[in-house]
Amino acid sequence: MTWPRPLMMLVVATMLGAARGNATEPTLAEERAFRAAVGQVADAVVRIEPVAGAAATGAAGAEAAVASAPSTGLVVDPAGLVFATSFAVPETAREAVVVLPDGRRVAATPLGRDVPRGIVLLKTEPLPTAPLVEPVPRRSLEPGQWTIAVGRGWSAAEPGVSVGILSAVDRGWGLAVQTDAAVSPMNYGGPLLDIAGRVIGIVAPLPAEPAQMMRGTELYDAGIGFAVPLEDLLAELPRLAAGESLAGGVLGIAYRSRDTINGDPVIASVRQGSPAARAGLRPGDRIVAIEGRAVQRIADARHAVAPRHAGDVIAVEVDRRAGGATSRVTARPALVATLPPWRRAILGLVVADGAAGVEDEPARIEWVLPGGPADRAGIAAGGRVASIVPLGDAAGGAEVVEAPSAATLAGLLAGLEPEQQVRLGVLQGADVTTIDLALGEMICDVPAEAPAPLSSGLPAAGADGVRVVRLGGADVAQPPLAVIPAGRGPVPVLIWFGLPHGDVDEAEATAWQGAAAATGVAVILPGSQERREWSGDDLGGVVRALESLQPLRPVDAARVAVAGRGPGGVFAWLVAERLGDACRGVAVLDAPLPSRVVIPAAEPGTAKWMLLGGAGDAAAARRLGADRDRLRHAGHAVGTLPEPDGGGPPAATLCRWAALLGLR
Amino acid sequence: MIPRCFLVVAVVLAARAGAAADPTPQLVAVIAAKSVVKIYGAGGLRGLEAYQSGIILSPDGRIATALSTVLDAEGIDCVLDDGRRFEATLVGVDPRRELAVLSIDATDLPAAVPAAGRAAAGTRVLAVSNLFGVAVGDERASVQRGVIAAVAPLEARRGAADAPYTGTVYVLDFTTNNPGSPGGALVDARGRLLGMIGKELRASASGIWLNYALPVDEVLAGCAAVVEGRAGMTTAAAAPPFDLGLLGIVLVPDLLDRTPPFVETLLPESAAARAGLAADDLVIAVGGRAVGSRAAAERAVGAIAAGDPVRLSVIRAGTVVDIDLGPRPAVADAALPPETAP
Repeated sequence: MTWPRPLMMLVVATMLGAARGNATEPTLAEERAFRAAVGQVADAVVRIEPVAGAAATGAAGAEAAVASAPSTGLVVDPAGLVFATSFAVPETAREAVVVLPDGRRVAATPLGRDVPRGIVLLKTEPLPTAPLVEPVPRRSLEPGQWTIAVGRGWSAAEPGVSVGILSAVDRGWGLAVQTDAAVSPMNYGGPLLDIAGRVIGIVAPLPAEPAQMMRGTELYDAGIGFAVPLEDLLAELPRLAAGESLAGGVLGIAYRSRDTINGDPVIASVRQGSPAARAGLRPGDRIVAIEGRAVQRIADARHAVAPRHAGDVIAVEVDRRAGGATSRVTARPALVATLPPWRRAILGLVVADGAAGVEDEPARIEWVLPGGPADRAGIAAGGRVASIVPLGDAAGGAEVVEAPSAATLAGLLAGLEPEQQVRLGVLQGADVTTIDLALGEMICDVPAEAPAPLSSGLPAAGADGVRVVRLGGADVAQPPLAVIPAGRGPVPVLIWFGLPHGDVDEAEATAWQGAAAATGVAVILPGSQERREWSGDDLGGVVRALESLQPLRPVDAARVAVAGRGPGGVFAWLVAERLGDACRGVAVLDAPLPSRVVIPAAEPGTAKWMLLGGAGDAAAARRLGADRDRLRHAGHAVGTLPEPDGGGPPAATLCRWAALLGLR
Repeated sequence: MIPRCFLVVAVVLAARAGAAADPTPQLVAVIAAKSVVKIYGAGGLRGLEAYQSGIILSPDGRIATALSTVLDAEGIDCVLDDGRRFEATLVGVDPRRELAVLSIDATDLPAAVPAAGRAAAGTRVLAVSNLFGVAVGDERASVQRGVIAAVAPLEARRGAADAPYTGTVYVLDFTTNNPGSPGGALVDARGRLLGMIGKELRASASGIWLNYALPVDEVLAGCAAVVEGRAGMTTAAAAPPFDLGLLGIVLVPDLLDRTPPFVETLLPESAAARAGLAADDLVIAVGGRAVGSRAAAERAVGAIAAGDPVRLSVIRAGTVVDIDLGPRPAVADAALPPETAP
């Protein structure tokens, strides 16, 4: 007789089962454990429904996409206290709708928020049947242990379950744990359980930088999810329940290193009036520990500060060099939520290091801004800065900095505000003159004069001292043209986007040659991949162009600018956003700032100088004014870019501007 | 052919082991994969795959698979786990469940064994399919593991269109719905068929990609309907939006993509006014189902049959108020929404 295959398989399976005992049992035992764990908390897991009004009355774009999906909350107090995420209940929401496990739909109001963790505490009616949830001590968590994410977004009637393991215990600058259980808006706000049904944390989008808070959705289906430890949240429950909102804490320092992960934690600047300044931290201090936790890299410092809130006092230990000796100092700054908008202060000088790569040489004065603070105080080009010290109460008895390098001078100025008095020692020949002067506001419009190419870049370039080269090899489609001034040493770089028209012609470089030679600015003219528009592919091309310029002439990282006209100007905004802190200037003609582009507020050391201009009707002028206000509000210097005569690119103005981006 | 004495031994062993005789997880994977076939048909253009998966439902060659463009071909090839290739005949389709039945000329096939009843959230499962078409030779389909995340209605769309099936599905907590996966098998820890993996869809509300399977009772009901010629060739049309003015409700003007359904005013003496609805109430649910916009509210009322009660939930001064508006009036000058197909 012939046996159907399934039956035969069954027979074989039966035999194997008999031989090995109950082989499926571990699988089913785990399944029972998952369900038992979910059963313990199920009555504390509620559904959060979108309230249409909340999203629609929100500020703009970003929030509208949020909160259109049902989500989850966790009851932490039967008096009616429910944790949910800011994703489901954004800051603009005045109320939320909670569906209880018994199917009743009740209203809830937000009490307080933990802003950096993206968690909101809701108050709804008492829930006498909700079980008390038990938090897992954070210390006892081990990567690899079972995790079960529970949510009611899929179905209000039955809690949804996804199972994974704990992937890491310290993520998002210490705010979260990581799991590979599937997470989505459906279970955001729900508990992440251990196998015993205790609550590890609240499932949430990765608490990233505030600007990215609402974007924490790119990681679906990537095997990566996050939860904010419940233990941390319960510790702040009384404050949240009292209606307090806990903002992230800011210290008010910037680091010398541009590597924000592995860089040395040496302070480059301290914002005036900031917690760091009031606690006595100074430029040059090296952070060695925060709250007793050793700090070796900038990432360690961020890790130590990120879990704290505004109002918290933290102990910051630094090593400070003074008079050849190093001492250990402990400062106790009280963190604040936001710093007052930063205003860039200038002496009105372009300075350079004595010799390339020698940091401890006193900064050489290359150029003096006509009518600027230094000019009015009688300082002339050619001297060196022998010493500098801020004066007055605001400086808090700061020490004299002897023979500052250009970088040290920049860091010190970044911490000071306009009108601050400083005492400069200026070395001219063999004589040191002491001069007191008040710092000025950063200029907005481009002055008619600009420094000649830095004399350290020998030989000095003549009017035709430029070469025009194609960047990138033969394999690069539409290789950009570069106009590179003669000489050595780092150069400012200006990237210009005109009308997109595919390949860029050699003849287009001629408009830039004179200005590049006169100012020592390298100009990059990229081609467009598409014949009629700037596209996403061109974004990557910009980064590659900067990289391929580097071996020909090193790029001065503090003076990289993008500029463009019309569609090229709109694209320049996108490039500026992509380059981030690496871009220090944006200049556009006839190009409104796209609403989706995020230009972060000015910070010492990374503030931008913008130029806006263009012809057009009254609506265009209104738009321009709105852009100017928005950028000024973010603390950037915003000037006007005049329309050039004759329709060519405004080469002379832009090259002068790029050369002056490093104005001190 | 199996020797009779062998069988006797097996039966004796099985009797000794009693009810606890379960296969190992590895064997479950093998059993499940044997009942999954690889299907090759039309496609390859515009990024559409020319392959998917199918489940053998009977030893004599009946196969269930997902209804897709792959089946728009002159010849549909089915390749079994042992590499044998058969040309399949399309028996019929169930457009509502997005399911198709194929037949191949074979016998003694390793048919899947359906589970009895529905599984609950948290059930450990295996998904078996030819995801991404990687099983190209005489090899079995791929096996993945996870749990059932939820048993919930499918609220999904493909592109701009809503998915035709709106019944219950198993939502899964692992990435099962990939190119090539539709028509694959979802089995429980004992290897019993729980469902058929669906197509690649996004959730209507959140836009996230869904991983889900059509429960086996729906698969079998759909196949039976196809074989008996009951499955219609058209899907039930969606209910048209209902003019809430017929109930006396005037909502705020629909200007935004997701205009919140705030009540602007009420017609005097109307059902809504009598029932106690008030201006500035925000409608949050119709008949217990959340509505996130004015358009959703109008569609939700439109889906209620004329004569059935209309129950709204609104937020008023920070509390949720349920309001019964009485029976939904018929729309005199428009066609009634078609009743749900059997």
